[in-house]
Amino acid sequence: MSKGLSIKRQLFVMTVLVLCVINGIAIWGANLYAERAAKLSFDRLLHGAALQIAESINLLDGRVVIDLPVSAFETLALAPSDRAYYAVTRLDTKEVLTGYDNLPSRFIFPQSVSADLGAEAPMYMEAPFYGEATRFIRVVKRLIEADQMVDVEIVIGQTTVARLQLADEMGGMVIRFLISFFVVTLALLMFGIWRVLRPLKLLKKAIEARSSTELTPLNTAVPTEIQPLIEAMNFFMAQLANTLERLKRFTGEAAHQLRTPLAGLNLQAQNALDEPDPIARKRQLNDIIESSALLSETVNHLLNEATLAHRMQSEVFRSLNLHTLVQDVCRSLVVWALQRDVEIAYLGNAEHKIRGDDVALTQMLRNLIENAVKYSPEGSSVEINLTESSAGLILTVSDQGSGIRDKDKQHVFERFYRGQHNQTMGSGIGLSIAKEVAEHHKAVLTLEDNHPTGLIIKVTFPQEATV
Amino acid sequence: MIRFAIGLLFLLLGSGSQAVSKHYLPGTLEGSIHIWGVADYPVIEPLLQQFQKSVSDVDVHYWEFGTKELEARLRTYPDDMPDLVMSPAMDLQFKLVNDGFARTYQSSVTEALPNWTTWRNEIYAFAFEPIVMVINTDILGGIALPRSREQLLNLVREKGPLLQGKMGLSDIERVGLGYLTWFHDSQQSRTYGRLLEAFGSHHAQLYPNSREMLDALRKGEIFIAYNLVGSYALEWSRRYPWIEPIMPTDYTSVVLRTAFIPAQAQRAELGSEFLDYLLSEGQQYMAQNVGLIPIVEGIEGTNSQEALKRRSHGIFRPIPFGLPLLVQTDKAKRSIILDEWRAAMTSDHKSK
Repeated sequence: MSKGLSIKRQLFVMTVLVLCVINGIAIWGANLYAERAAKLSFDRLLHGAALQIAESINLLDGRVVIDLPVSAFETLALAPSDRAYYAVTRLDTKEVLTGYDNLPSRFIFPQSVSADLGAEAPMYMEAPFYGEATRFIRVVKRLIEADQMVDVEIVIGQTTVARLQLADEMGGMVIRFLISFFVVTLALLMFGIWRVLRPLKLLKKAIEARSSTELTPLNTAVPTEIQPLIEAMNFFMAQLANTLERLKRFTGEAAHQLRTPLAGLNLQAQNALDEPDPIARKRQLNDIIESSALLSETVNHLLNEATLAHRMQSEVFRSLNLHTLVQDVCRSLVVWALQRDVEIAYLGNAEHKIRGDDVALTQMLRNLIENAVKYSPEGSSVEINLTESSAGLILTVSDQGSGIRDKDKQHVFERFYRGQHNQTMGSGIGLSIAKEVAEHHKAVLTLEDNHPTGLIIKVTFPQEATV
Repeated sequence: MIRFAIGLLFLLLGSGSQAVSKHYLPGTLEGSIHIWGVADYPVIEPLLQQFQKSVSDVDVHYWEFGTKELEARLRTYPDDMPDLVMSPAMDLQFKLVNDGFARTYQSSVTEALPNWTTWRNEIYAFAFEPIVMVINTDILGGIALPRSREQLLNLVREKGPLLQGKMGLSDIERVGLGYLTWFHDSQQSRTYGRLLEAFGSHHAQLYPNSREMLDALRKGEIFIAYNLVGSYALEWSRRYPWIEPIMPTDYTSVVLRTAFIPAQAQRAELGSEFLDYLLSEGQQYMAQNVGLIPIVEGIEGTNSQEALKRRSHGIFRPIPFGLPLLVQTDKAKRSIILDEWRAAMTSDHKSK
């Protein structure tokens, strides 16, 4: 399908690898165990036979009498296709009393730690004999009669066909078991993997089935591990939907806001064209200039808003100094305000840092201050303050204009709303942008009356927004 | 040069030991097979001829040994081996194989055989030899013939004086088969001790081989012969109707005649051809024409196991073919058995 790695294939390869390693170790261990077990059981037979022979050796009048029991050889014959050899030797004279006289002697066997012959443990060793691998056991028996004591050594050898066969059989059984275990485990794991990955497939189908404009959240059931992915996708789609919505609204508003003044301009221009009186025409042309200035302000605001809206969705906050920001904005507006005979006074001095978007905040400050200046009577001043309180960082912009009546206060933040008694020209967007920026920073924007007259706009940045 | 030297040595040995008799059947094909055995040449000859006729017409050399001489010969000259060794001395044969004297051989023929007739695919039983009592019915005609060892003991008790010196036994000190079967008796039943005592107290005659014992029986020198090879006894009873072999009904010991291909065989492929023949077509031929009883069951013929089963018999107890046979070759055990035997056989003589 795609060039990326398939999770399914990766899981499959990992599973097979892990199973191979586990099975390999298990087979190795099983073979080791089987060999040990076979060795142990056949060594016991050897030991049993040796003990039976030892039992049949007695000292009679100073003579060693050996009455070999058939049962000892029947014990050995439990390994039906193995050769066997035996010898009984007097340790003092080194005389082979009966049996094979060419078996390994005690000098070849690994030396026993115990010095006490009577208590010697059986010794085992493996050596080729008559051209075949043979396992030997050596047992010593002390014969006692009156004041006489004779040690005899019993050596039995047996070829290793049966023990190898048993080991092979046991090993083979384990291998057969492990192979079926491997197959069953692999099948179960593959089923498990299919089960686990199925939600991803379902998710893919659910997305494929959507139309390109459907941006509602996905609600396909998925494992908790994949839930964050779904959430991220849903978040992304919500943002996309939001952006689309804004764009639509903006386009509608902009169309409306531009069409009306343009029509007005057109009409004014027509009138001016028809006006014979040069003085009146000049006034009309001045009106046109004023109208087009307003229009360009509106366009600016609209564009600003579009930029900000985009920023507010995508830009990440960083730490910034609100004090310097306010200073900068004031500085940039002070000349413009003086032209209108309005003074801008910044009283704040708190060096506070907050987390925010400097471009958006600058725009907000501009809008608030410009707005205050516009509604200020000539010769008055606009005071800007930045203080810290328990509620957080408070920015106030106060003017001495006519203020806003209480019934208008709830509407001023609506787009393009203009108070009934508002004589000043404006786009009606400035405050609404300011409010959006404030809310974007989780700050609260409130309006208060100034005394004796005027408006105070208060922006409260909550404590958690400060750094 | 070496071969010549060995041949010379051989000749010397052969002339020195009367136990070896050499026979030769010329064939038309290139090559020769050497078989060493214990069976009397007249018994084995038809089988050898049949082999030449139906399998491979090569020269056949058959050397007849005593059981012990055969074993001694193989052990003394391990570099000079025949292509096949056949013997009823199971213990000696087994020990040879245990000591690595045989080579493994497997074929479709050997695979068809029952498990108990082979060991390690190195040695194969080819003939079934029940061990019998043989009675001269002319002399013991008036009384009910003993069918089991218990009845034999009763007879000895009742007619003791009549049987003084009139019972025959193999001399187990000299006869390998005699020791083998006697040892088997010692393992099998409680009657063994009483038998030994009865034979000892009644001066049982000891014979160095079956032939001499059967001859003595035929002539009436003895009335009862104990533990004889069944195939010979049956053969003789056909010729001399007044002697009757009886398979004891308490249990009938069975000795297996075995064959193996020596590890050092020079013409092992001929040896294996003969072995295959012996175990397949030869079995059939044995049942009808040779005085040996085939190991394979279900074959009809005068010498077959089926024919044996129709006579009165006890449980067939083949001497088990396996490691326990090592006990029979053990010299310490042998000296114990022989001590008992000698004590029984001579004590009464002394007391007399």
